[in-house]
Parts: sequence; structure tokens; C-alpha cells
Amino acid sequence: MISRRSALRTGAGFAAAATLAAPSILHAQTKTLKITTWGGKWGDIMKATVLPAFEKEFKCTVSADQSFPFLPKLQASPKNDPLYDVFHTNSNEQWSAVGEGLVMDKITVKEVPNVADVYPYAVSDKVVGISIFTSAIGLGYRTDKGLAKPTSWKDLADPKLAGSRGGYIIPVNSLGQCHLMMLGKVYGKGLQDLDAAYKALEALKPIKLVDFTGQMEKMLLSGEVSMGVIHDSGIYRYDGQNQPVDFAGPSEGVMALEQVLNVTPSSKVKELAFAYIDYMLRPDVQKVLAEGVWYSPSNKKVKLDAKYDAKLYTTEAKVAQLIQPDWKWYNARKEDIDARVTKLLKG
Amino acid sequence: MAVAIVQRQPISRVAPIAWLIAPALLLFVLFFALPFGVMAVMSFFSGNPVSNPNAVLTTRHYERFIYDSAGIYHDALWATLRIGLITTVISLLIGYPLAHWMARMQSRLGHALVLMAVIAPMLTGIVVRTFAWMTILQDKGVINTMLMQWGLIEKPLPLMYNEFGTVVALVHIYVPFMVLTLTGVIGRIDERLEQAARSLGAGRLRAFVEVTLPLSLPGILAGSLLVFALSISAYVTPSLMGGTNVLTLPMLIAQQVGTSFNPNFAGALGIILLLVSLVIVVAYNKILTRLSGEQGLA
Repeated sequence: MISRRSALRTGAGFAAAATLAAPSILHAQTKTLKITTWGGKWGDIMKATVLPAFEKEFKCTVSADQSFPFLPKLQASPKNDPLYDVFHTNSNEQWSAVGEGLVMDKITVKEVPNVADVYPYAVSDKVVGISIFTSAIGLGYRTDKGLAKPTSWKDLADPKLAGSRGGYIIPVNSLGQCHLMMLGKVYGKGLQDLDAAYKALEALKPIKLVDFTGQMEKMLLSGEVSMGVIHDSGIYRYDGQNQPVDFAGPSEGVMALEQVLNVTPSSKVKELAFAYIDYMLRPDVQKVLAEGVWYSPSNKKVKLDAKYDAKLYTTEAKVAQLIQPDWKWYNARKEDIDARVTKLLKG
Repeated sequence: MAVAIVQRQPISRVAPIAWLIAPALLLFVLFFALPFGVMAVMSFFSGNPVSNPNAVLTTRHYERFIYDSAGIYHDALWATLRIGLITTVISLLIGYPLAHWMARMQSRLGHALVLMAVIAPMLTGIVVRTFAWMTILQDKGVINTMLMQWGLIEKPLPLMYNEFGTVVALVHIYVPFMVLTLTGVIGRIDERLEQAARSLGAGRLRAFVEVTLPLSLPGILAGSLLVFALSISAYVTPSLMGGTNVLTLPMLIAQQVGTSFNPNFAGALGIILLLVSLVIVVAYNKILTRLSGEQGLA
């Protein structure tokens, strides 16, 4: 016979179990989108506003990985159950990933309607996936060292800058790789003229080389470097902080540093992944991020505040100055280039 | 009752120590033996055999290193070993006197204070300590700025972005490992042996060289191997302090995984580094064994 006390105890037990199980049931019904994304100011904005709004609208949770590098982790995960659904990297890594079948070749307007409103460079044949933003790789320089604003990439070779010019460790940094290709264009027959590029690179010695753009920013801010290769965002983000640094886009053109989103072919939440890319291309989302980190938005319909509009690549005429590297070509000979530049820049 | 005793016997044969060792063994198997095995297997494949059906068995990654047509891999191996050896020797030269002093210290308070001083740097992360060295040694760092302000030099001294800066930072990071290892061994050497040598006419130096030093060889071996192993596998410090003028195998391995996306060649480089290190460790052990006249030290 069941006593009143034991019945109450049993009922309470069921209630407690149901309460404990509820979040997991809810969790099972809520889709999770696994993405990669940057840290820093970009990551702050994403976590504070962009991602929570997406989660609310699409009734899902977003799991964001900010620990770079992402591609080795994707490589190590099973192809039929990839670690990420949306893969955000720069363009060179997307080309490596597509070569291994880890991401999709193209994203079209059929999957992502907002693709209809992007500048042509964002979906050009130089891009795998879709570029949602771009920066311009040019020259950053100190304004307190008596230097004229650089107008050409050749200005970096000025003998006065010996020892105070900055570049990148080319094997590990895509800005360094872009700079090498640009040297081929400026001093030789084109972006793929590696012999001319190597010769021009050697002429830049002594040069301070760093791994990451963040280090270049610090070197410019501290005065360790007077002029260096950097993307516009890396300089403009100090706007209003009274720092004696500025950015110059050389006349030969600036290289595009695209922020590319792509979807893994075996993602279990592909529709949600496409919805996320579409969301990231919405004018209001693009505006928040573009003005937050000084990235040029890919969506033509974005209206930035005058301060940002004046400097970023927001018109057809401006984006025409962007040069997109052929990463497929570069990646195919990366090992040879790495060995050559490592020897060349040593010592 | 008798049956019950017979049934329990096999269980009681498992020594209690085995249960205590099990977690460490499991840790070793899961986080060293297994990953190492995977790495070794991967180094003989052209791609990832799990995700890529076209991956084939090959020795090309090892050939790439051996023939070194790029002309950088052998240099990187030699630089790795050179930095490891120099760091070990300097750490030993700095660490031994300190460890000897600590081990012979009569005051418990004094010993505790010195011990704290030795351990204190270890409470700060390696990255932070390396950045601290960068602020001291870089062109616009503390030393160069001071020397230039005093008019002693016109151009900054090349204190960083070379092997010198790398070794300085590595020695600072790894000296505590040497000191702590040596202190334990020297502390266990019976001080009366040295006193007996001196009472038999040996000078302070001779008593040290012929009594204390040989008895502390196991500590020297253990400390040296520890510092050597840590130095040759260091990644953060050589890459930050060495710039482009220092290229070590761990840096190349990181490059292969992180930016060339070639884990197979990275695996081969890892195996090569381990094999070369093992040869050096065995040779070092044999030399010290012969010097001490013992059968084996480690």
C-alpha cells in the first residue's frame, strides 16, 4: 500500500527529474550552428549583438570558435560530421579547404538571397564561398617621422627606411604573401612574376618581419616601424585615439584581404548555415560590423556614416581598385615560395 | 567459506600499486602513445587516410627532409639542437652553483626564500615572460634606449631577432627546472663525504670535483635532459625572440600544420626531431655513465 508520504516523495522525485531533463529536451529541439569567427573587437561585437540577434530570430544557438587556426581543426574532423557548419577565414585558407573538399565551391543567390546585392569581387572567380567584407592591403606609416604619404609600393624601398620598414613572415601570413605578389606586379611582369618579387623583396632588407597584423600595429604605434605593409582596418581602428599613424593605398593598387564565409558540404544544418550567411550580408548587420572594425562591406546597399564612407571601399569605382590574388595559383607553389623566402630573409 | 577464499585469490594478486599507476599509465597512453602513433602513421601517408580515400603510403615526407632541396630543413634541425645545447649548458652553469648553495643552506627560512625566488618566475606564463624580454631587448627596448641615451652606442645593439635573444629568454625560462632538479640530488649527498675528503687533505675545489660533482651527476643528467627536451621543443620563445633569423623544427612543424595545412610532413618532422633527440640523450647518458664509473644513471 502506498502511503501519502511515499506518494508525495515519488511525485516530487518525478517533478525534479522532469525539471532537470527539461533543458536537455529543449536543447535537443534547438539547432546548433557551429561557426568560426575572429576575436578582438570583431568578436566582441559578434558576441554582444550580432549572434544573440541571430539566435533569437532563428531560434537556434550558435557555437563560435575563435581559436585560430581553424583549417587544421576542420581537417582533423570527420568529413561527414564536420566540426564547423560555417567556415569564416581569409580567402587563401578557403582555397586550401576547397581543394580537400572541406567547403563548398560557390554560394549562389539561390541559397543566399542577399548575394544578389554584393559587389562583383565578393563572388568573383578568385573567391571560394562568399566574401562578406574586405580590407585593403596597403602601407601604414608614421606621420611624425617627416615621411611623405607613400603613393607607390616602391616608397617602402626608400633607403631612409632601412631597418624601420615592416613586413611579414611570408610562409605564415597572407598579407606577406599578398605583398610578395604585389612586388612581382610593381617590379616585374605581374602578380605571378616571382623572380622579380624575390629580387625586390631582398632589396627591402633590413626589414622587420612579424607573424600577425596585430604585431605590425604595435610596431607602428611604438615607432619600431616607420612604414609597413598593413590592411586599412589595422590603422583606421585607431581613429580618434590621436595616434601618429595613417594608411595609404598605393597607386599601383591595393590587395584585397577578404573575409570569406563558406559552408561545409556535410553540415547537418545547411539551411541554417545559409541563413547565417544571408543574415551576415544584411545591410544593418554589415553596417554594425563595418563601422565597428573598419571593414568595407560587400553589400552595395549598405549606407555607412560619412566618416567611414570616406575611407572604406563602398562604391563601384573604389572597389575597382582592389586586386584579388589568385590563391589557387599561390597555394600550388606555396612550399617552394616558403623555402625560397625563408632563405632569402634569413640573416 | 573455503570456496570464497579460493575465488578471491586472483583479485588479490593485483598489486595495489598497479591501481595507483593506472591513471598515469592511462594518461600516458591516451595523450602520448596514441597521438604519437597516429602522428607516426600519418607521416607515411600522402594525405589523411581517414577522410581522403586517395591517400597512399609514401616515404616522400622523409625524403623531402633528407634530400632538403629547399635548403632549410637541415639548417633548422641544426639550429634546434644548437639552441637546445647552448641553453642547457648555460642553464647548468647558472643553476648548479645556485642549487649547491640552496642544498647546503642551513637556514630553513633562507632556503624557503631562495626556493620562492627560483619558483616565482614560473608563476608567470611563458608568453608573458617572452614579451617581457622583448621589451627589454628590442631595438627600442630598455637596454638599447638607455645605452643610446647615455651616448654609448649610436645604433641599437642586435639583442633580439637572433639566437642570442632566443637563448637568453630560454635560459631564463628553464633555469628553475635545472635548479629544482639539482637541489634535490645535491641535498641528498652526504655532506660528511666532502668533509672526510677535506680532512684527508683535499682542498675545497678537489673535494668538490672528486666527491660532490660525481655524486651529483644523476642530477646533472636529469636536469640537462629536462632543459634540453624543453628547449628543443620550444615554439613560442624562438618564434617571438628569433624573428626570421631563427628557424627551428618546432617552428617548421607549426608552419606545416597551421599555414601549409600539411600534417603529414609535420608528423615526419616530429618523428625526425624525436629520433635525433633520442640519439643525443642516449649518447649523453653513456658519456656521463662512463665519467661517473657507474652502470647507468637514468
